[in-house]
Amino acid sequence: MLAVVRKQLRSHPALIPLFIFIGGGAAMSLLYLARLGLRNPDVCWDRKNNPEPWNKLGPNDQYKFFTVNMDYSKLKKDRPDF
Amino acid sequence: MAHPSQLGFQDAASPVMEELLHFHDHALMIVFLISTFVLYIIVAMVTTKLTNKFILDSQEIEIIWTLLPAIILILIALPSLRILYLMDEINDPHLTIKAMGHQWYWSYEYTDYEDLGFDSYMIPTQDLAPGQFRLLEADHRMVVPVESPIRVLISAEDVLHSWAVPSLGVKMDAVPGRLNQTAFIASHPGIFYGQCSEICGANHSFMPIVVEAVPLEHFENWSSLMLEDT
Repeated sequence: MLAVVRKQLRSHPALIPLFIFIGGGAAMSLLYLARLGLRNPDVCWDRKNNPEPWNKLGPNDQYKFFTVNMDYSKLKKDRPDF
Repeated sequence: MAHPSQLGFQDAASPVMEELLHFHDHALMIVFLISTFVLYIIVAMVTTKLTNKFILDSQEIEIIWTLLPAIILILIALPSLRILYLMDEINDPHLTIKAMGHQWYWSYEYTDYEDLGFDSYMIPTQDLAPGQFRLLEADHRMVVPVESPIRVLISAEDVLHSWAVPSLGVKMDAVPGRLNQTAFIASHPGIFYGQCSEICGANHSFMPIVVEAVPLEHFENWSSLMLEDT
């Protein structure tokens, strides 16, 4: 399969940028979906040991992938404990 | 507020809306460039006498017309994602206001320090004073201090509504049984108008939102006055 693709790429080098961009885009989408599935506190995988991860949110944690202006680790907790 | 035959966005009154404006200009410029280019190519193709019936393929032009659109898309996507994450940041608000949607008015609650709550009905057209805006004015405005991050918690008491103020770059659905959160900073003092943005019945077009940004001293005086009245 890969040998066939490599042979075709040698005679049609214009396909290389195509593979790079489409492959890169697919990889980035899958990686982000995996991050959402595994790291998002709204998702529960283990009903016995970690049933409601959305109840364990910390005041300093960053849950989003990217922050522009905020440094969440510098926030202070100003809410009462339960 | 919106102007007659307005084409673009309203002037930005918050940093987020400024970013949205600039991004829109950036993306629109790219769109105009591509459209002009395509139109030129079409005209050139249609009006040329040069033809070559024997071109089978060309690797160079294929590389160019793969690389260039990919680069253009990346140039659009990176600022777009940056603004997306910027809009979601709630940076330590100074004030929390609850906006509840009803049929057909908004009610605002300022419960950080005291229990201040009031309803905001549209001023009917026949009761407008000269100079006021039809279908946009409300009897009680939501007053906020200028240049302070404000958190707005939005919900509804009956049906779906949506709390939107275009010049602040804010729109959030008011869903009964759900609490939605948004935030904004009013960059300068002023009065900012918006309208309910989710169909909610007969008077959906007649429940406007008016936000008035004032210096902190004036906000404190206003809230003391409102507390005395209610």
